[in-house]
Amino acid sequence: MNLFNKGEAPKSQAELLYAAQLRKELQFKTNVAISWAVLLVIMVFLFSGQSVTIGTTTFKTIHIDTTFILKEIDFIAGGLTETIKISILSIFLAMALALLAALGRLSTFPPIYALSTFYVSLIRGTPLYLQIFFFFLALPQLGIILSGTLAGVLALGLNYGAYMSEIFRAGLASVGKGQREAAIALGMTPTQTMRRVVLPQALRFAIPPVGNEFIAMTKDSALVSATGFVHELMWRATKVGRAQFHNLEALIMAAIFYWTMTLALTYIQSIIEKRLSKGDR
Amino acid sequence: MAPIVKISNLDKYFGHLHVLKNISLEVPEREVVCLIGRSGSGKSTLLRCVNFLEEPSHGSIEVAGVKVTGEMKGAQRRQLIHDVRLKTGMVFQEFNLFPHMTVLENVIEGPVTVKGMDRKIAIELAEKNLESVGLIVKKDEYPMRLSGGQKQRVAIARALTMEPKVMLFDEPTSALDPELIGEVLNVMKKVAYEGMTMIVVTHEMGFAKEVADRVIVMGDGELIEDAKPEDLFSNPKDPRTKALIDRYRTDSGN
Ligand SMILES: Nc1ncnc2c1ncn2[C@@H]1O[C@H](COP(=O)(O)OP(=O)(O)OP(=O)(O)O)[C@@H](O)[C@H]1O
Ligand SMILES: [Mg+2]
Repeated sequence: MNLFNKGEAPKSQAELLYAAQLRKELQFKTNVAISWAVLLVIMVFLFSGQSVTIGTTTFKTIHIDTTFILKEIDFIAGGLTETIKISILSIFLAMALALLAALGRLSTFPPIYALSTFYVSLIRGTPLYLQIFFFFLALPQLGIILSGTLAGVLALGLNYGAYMSEIFRAGLASVGKGQREAAIALGMTPTQTMRRVVLPQALRFAIPPVGNEFIAMTKDSALVSATGFVHELMWRATKVGRAQFHNLEALIMAAIFYWTMTLALTYIQSIIEKRLSKGDR
Repeated sequence: MAPIVKISNLDKYFGHLHVLKNISLEVPEREVVCLIGRSGSGKSTLLRCVNFLEEPSHGSIEVAGVKVTGEMKGAQRRQLIHDVRLKTGMVFQEFNLFPHMTVLENVIEGPVTVKGMDRKIAIELAEKNLESVGLIVKKDEYPMRLSGGQKQRVAIARALTMEPKVMLFDEPTSALDPELIGEVLNVMKKVAYEGMTMIVVTHEMGFAKEVADRVIVMGDGELIEDAKPEDLFSNPKDPRTKALIDRYRTDSGN
């Protein structure tokens, strides 16, 4: 075999090693993709209702009622907008609360610092499920009646805000002391320094992890269905599933919707991250 | 004529560490003062006290007629410190450009946000100063895309665009690759020859010899020698000054 390509300069040892490594990586990725495809095919097959005979034993795969699926798919898909709406509203509330909590942690004024840590501790110390019910079921006892959606958004926003305060804290910490000093030396007030120099950099730092939280939020929003009054994906799936005793099909449909949504959001996030990492930092 | 910078009986403690010991210093208008001294002798701290990046423990600072004394408190003090900062420009060792802003945005940020200057006027002024440091072609770049020397020149333009009465430089070339030091020193020379009052903490003895009107040596929180560069380098009085100069000679004498 001819080791060197005709007409080209012989490749150096390092180049050859690098090329070999690239080939190996590509090979690995290809194999992973093939395996994914095989797993998907197996999964589809498992739910195909076919019978397989191996030797003397006959296995029956899971039977899915396709007429039910075709009949109810529009109804369940109709929950997507509600799921997305709740997630978007909640993530904005969560970002605002997380930023306030992170700024509170920087305060040298004890009541503010305490308020921030108290909020984070209380929320992280109790289940999200309980928090949703608190807003929906416990508040009416005090005369405060919230719609299911509002209760859900408040609970999700408060809950995620507490967890996301760490992200914003890290974002604020990522802005070096030199940045603040440069701003102060220009004559900026503490507020101007925060608004013009620290926050823009901290928020940019926080975008990728906030994206992760948003993706998690779209799935945790399913818990809001427990109020029984928010017609998002999960609520719709359980409603038709229970009523017609087709929970299997209904939940599979919901799962596919959630999964697809997650994949799409992850893809969008990777694009945003690429944009952020190149260019203007 | 009243000095532009007047430091009187300045003391600075970090905890129990007495870093600046009863320092008094006057810098007249248009003078270029180089501050040299061993590491840890308090050069940065002294410079940073001038624009209150460090709070003096005792003593008073006066810049261009604005005087801040230790007795002043609260809102009045804050206002005066703000006024002092408007009259001083500072250039840091690590440049500290704002990475989320373009070069031009960095340079107009102070005038627009702090002084409330009209954006158009600020841009004109900024472009003039970027021209002067030779970086007008880079005005729409982000700092990440500049070399260290270019960053520092932008930082100088940023400080100048605030139209300060005195410029403070804290080792402006110490973070640079050797081949980039010259371009920054040249810009500083130009600023000096245009009549700016400057206090420069530096290890660049060539710059001190050529540009400084006065060289001040710091040691253990005190000003141990204060002389014209030609006198100081040829005839150092204090043994610590002598040791310092000898070390610079051997460092650069290859
Ligand atoms: N924020 C601080 N907290 C505590 N000690 C400090 C602080 N800043 C400086 N010091 C100490 O004060 C002394 C003087 O420091 P300073 O930075 O002014 O020295 P310098 O002459 O600028 O030194 P160098 O040439 O290394 O920059 C040193 O002993 C230093 O450790
Ligand atoms: Mg220093």
